[in-house]
Amino acid sequence: MQVVSLRPEIGAETGKVSGQTRAPAMIDIESVSQRFEVSGRKSHLALSDINLSVADGAFVSILGPSGCGKSTLLYIVGGFVSPTEGVAKVKGNVITGPGPDRGPVFQEFALFPWKTVLGNVMYGLRQQGVKRAEAEAQSRRLIEMVGLKGYENFYPKELSGGMKQRVAIARTLAYHPSVLLMDEPFGALDAHTRTRLQNDLLNIWERDRKTVLFVTHSVDEAVFLSDKVVVMTRSPGRIKEIVDIDLPRPRRRAELLLDARYQKYVVDIERLIDDGRDDVVQP
Amino acid sequence: MNARALNNVLLGLAPIVMVLALWQGLCSFGYAPPSLLPPPGKVFVRLAQQLVSWNFLDDMLATLTRLFAGFFIAVALGVGIGLAAAVSGPVNAVVRPLVQVLAPVPKVALYPALLLLLGFDHASKVTLVAADALFPILLSTYYGASMVEQKLIWSALAAGTPRYQILFKVILPAALPSILTGCRIGLVISCIVVFLAEMITSTDGLGHLLVGAARTFQTVDMFVPLITISLLGLILNGLLYSLRKYLLRGFPEV
Amino acid sequence: MRIAVSRLSPLLACLGLLVAWQLAAMLLHTDSFPTAWQAILTVPDVLGDRESLLNILDSIRRMVIGLTLAMLVSIPLGLMMGRSARVAAFFNPLLMMVYPVPKAALMPVIMLWLGVGDASKTLVIFLGVSLPVIYHSFQGAKAVEEKMLWSGAAMGLSAVQRMFRIVLPAALPEILTGCRTGLVLALITMVTSEMIARQSGAGNILFNAMDMAQYDTVFAMIIIIGALGIVLDAAFDKLRWRLVAWAEPRQDILLGAS
Repeated sequence: MQVVSLRPEIGAETGKVSGQTRAPAMIDIESVSQRFEVSGRKSHLALSDINLSVADGAFVSILGPSGCGKSTLLYIVGGFVSPTEGVAKVKGNVITGPGPDRGPVFQEFALFPWKTVLGNVMYGLRQQGVKRAEAEAQSRRLIEMVGLKGYENFYPKELSGGMKQRVAIARTLAYHPSVLLMDEPFGALDAHTRTRLQNDLLNIWERDRKTVLFVTHSVDEAVFLSDKVVVMTRSPGRIKEIVDIDLPRPRRRAELLLDARYQKYVVDIERLIDDGRDDVVQP
Repeated sequence: MNARALNNVLLGLAPIVMVLALWQGLCSFGYAPPSLLPPPGKVFVRLAQQLVSWNFLDDMLATLTRLFAGFFIAVALGVGIGLAAAVSGPVNAVVRPLVQVLAPVPKVALYPALLLLLGFDHASKVTLVAADALFPILLSTYYGASMVEQKLIWSALAAGTPRYQILFKVILPAALPSILTGCRIGLVISCIVVFLAEMITSTDGLGHLLVGAARTFQTVDMFVPLITISLLGLILNGLLYSLRKYLLRGFPEV
Repeated sequence: MRIAVSRLSPLLACLGLLVAWQLAAMLLHTDSFPTAWQAILTVPDVLGDRESLLNILDSIRRMVIGLTLAMLVSIPLGLMMGRSARVAAFFNPLLMMVYPVPKAALMPVIMLWLGVGDASKTLVIFLGVSLPVIYHSFQGAKAVEEKMLWSGAAMGLSAVQRMFRIVLPAALPEILTGCRTGLVLALITMVTSEMIARQSGAGNILFNAMDMAQYDTVFAMIIIIGALGIVLDAAFDKLRWRLVAWAEPRQDILLGAS
């Protein structure tokens, strides 16, 4: 694996020894808080003092109960929402808005209904100024990669939920973002489709090891996919613990489900979340 | 077409046939003198004659010119203002209360003022048509554009779309279903209003023909322009429906 | 504070429109375009004149009767169309054909049959109002969730009871939207048909005044009719809020003119 040496050795733990400040990770979230106005004077603290650093090429899941602000955190990295306090950085640069270096995939798919599958996937490339013919060729390859060959000229309404999400993933991969921001991407799919998409996502990810920030409320999904699982608590959203998932890759679902280490991760993390729930019950 | 659909079509034709039969019956059995209610056969023969007469077509052309002029002004203003109000806070703050106040005002009451200001020619009628068709188009554009899913915009921004292009690349196409619904309502309103304006004051046009016939008690000639404008309304509505179906082929449930 | 602004903004809009009118009239400076102030000053004269006032009240009376009759017929018809595919298939094509007919334009024909009295004018208003009320009642009844009716049937409600106790209240927000459109349309049809018939009523005053070059009266009358539209619409909206406060707010598009 010579690719590894090309990557700078970074991350919260592995700061450079040279006395300089540590080199930037792919994503750095520094003391981020987010407060929403509820109505008039009331406000709700959605995120409280979040610090997180994601290394290049890492697959990191953010896990927590609904309403813990995990999606908001993702939107902050996406540049869609600006934090009330603190900064988020990508490759050391403060995030001020959305950009093609961070590609989102939403639970709601958010495909353009007026464009065909091909049109949707081509959109980002055309925005980057890629010539039509070249953009089309690249898009067709991507559509084939996500398993939708033959559906290029279909409209999103003619596809099932799982197929729509494949298109959305292809659309985002098309413009080569450094980071994939996935906001409960499989949350709206049935269990069977969900499993298949998880497997396919891992296969795609194994090829170029993009950095992935993956929001989910499913413990299995988080453990199955990730290198690290960030467990969050609710009101206010805080990081409770970051769990390193030390399981071999490439991962095979059938093997993992029988693997005692996998089972222990799942049980441990579920316990962590249950602890968190006790704090919340207080009025 | 399956049997059920065919059944429904027949069911729907029934009341139309019944109305025609009642009309014919009233005439044939002498309940309605021809001076009050001419038999349907006579009316449709007259309609066919008129549709190939140059004088009648001139009047129809005058009506259509006013109709389209007013309608397209309403579309341009309605879509423009509606989009602007949806994306800009300051514009919204001005447009919203103005629309709230002006939408329920019966625009036809402004017609005398328009006549005094713009004269009795085309301009006053075109303005009245535009004023009446404007609000449904403006409102549906505004609602359509403000309901655009946030994540559609985010997806486009993340793909590298500059903010100033979002309006035309995302908001306008996403609001298109709603905009076209507004346009259909606006088009039928335009048909109705242009006819009424011509009835109230005019020297030509289909509405004028009706009033002229009413003055001389030519009942047959009263029905012909009425049926013509209704047919025009149906045809234009049908054309816009096809256009809508084509433009919105990607959208669910058109 | 913010609420106060949103309450005031329609008033500010009215004020803005009047100021714009005033300035435009002062700039143009012609006899046929009085200033807003002159027109407002003429309003009490018009309303103080016994005959005009009676004329306007007559118009309103016909409007209310026409609107009420239309609602009594259209709401049940729309609800039945919404709950039965066969009833809908029966009436839909006919209604579609009637939709683009200018109802007020039927005035001369109806006057031939029923004379120039109240009957013709009320009938035209009835026709003008019916379609949107039917349409909205139809949409409202169609959107009622099937499972709600199943629950009702399971509780032992008969078909008629289900219509009154489930479909009617569930469709009420949509029905009231139709009635609101109908209200404005009733006013429009009333004014238009009076302008065409030129016999009596508010629409007639407008054109009589114009023929006699009483331009202040013309514009005063426009203010009165416009204000009537705004006040009726606002009052109905308030009533609707009372009745269906539980419903989620939705968009209203004024349908059709007449």
